[in-house]
Amino acid sequence: MNQTSMKICFAGSAGGHLSQLLKIASAWSGYEVCWITTTEVVRASLGEQGNVHVVGECNRQHPVRVLRVFLRCLRILRRERPDVVISTGAAPGCMAAILGHLAGAKVIWLDSITNVNRLSLSGRLVRPFADLFLVQWPALARKYRGVEYVGAVI
Amino acid sequence: MIFLTVGTQFPFDRLVRAVDDFFDAYELDDEVFAQIGSSTYTPRHFEAVGVLDKEAFDRRFRQANAIIGHAGMGTITLALDCGKPLLAMPRRKKYGEVVNDHQVALADEFEALGHILVAHSASELAAKLTRLKVFTPQPRAASPDAVADRISWFVRSIDPG
Repeated sequence: MNQTSMKICFAGSAGGHLSQLLKIASAWSGYEVCWITTTEVVRASLGEQGNVHVVGECNRQHPVRVLRVFLRCLRILRRERPDVVISTGAAPGCMAAILGHLAGAKVIWLDSITNVNRLSLSGRLVRPFADLFLVQWPALARKYRGVEYVGAVI
Repeated sequence: MIFLTVGTQFPFDRLVRAVDDFFDAYELDDEVFAQIGSSTYTPRHFEAVGVLDKEAFDRRFRQANAIIGHAGMGTITLALDCGKPLLAMPRRKKYGEVVNDHQVALADEFEALGHILVAHSASELAAKLTRLKVFTPQPRAASPDAVADRISWFVRSIDPG
């Protein structure tokens, strides 16, 4: 058990992004955590692991929704003040990561396994701000500078 | 029984129709049971329901000899975890089935690694459906612990406490 006041914020869209975050559950045992996800349905799967914030879905086809999710992420990060933001994407995770960086948090990005030949759009946006950037295909780590491959979670 | 599942969020009529049309020309030992979500196509050759609750879905999945589905991460991981042969059709943006073509590359890569079978069209589906029952999926050697260790090492390295 870590005797620490560090707080980790996990941000992942419901579905594949969130399930990949849950696969690395052991990385945060002992830390205070909070979650940002996109639908109420998955709240139960996160159990009693800290505050769960539901910001709704958004993608670049819907700019108004993007703005709404952005403002919600901003409010959540102001309240939670995490030391680390870990995300697998997609758009809401990307916003949480960049906002987290601007608020002084360290950013860990785990690009989703669905990105085989190139990084996700969210990943490419977050990459300049990421303190640790992991991919799940060895070829991607060879293709991009500063990107690490240590294995796939799925 | 072959369980056809197309996810519940968006319709996937192209896949439901392709499986249905297959039975116009061919027969299988197994019958098909389908969860078609919001798809509007009504199959003539097998029973289809909209959305199963989680318990019924899991039961169908476990009972099935093989799975046909879209190439979503959820379906693929569940099939691999259960050791079920999966024939997956990637959803395509050009048909309005998904917002981008992220399912295509992943499906092809997983097929190349022997984890799943992939059909991009109705004709490919017909060709591979006859092979599905004898297809033995290569188990996936994922390493979530290595990823978790790397993250945990990083977090500890910045932990002032």
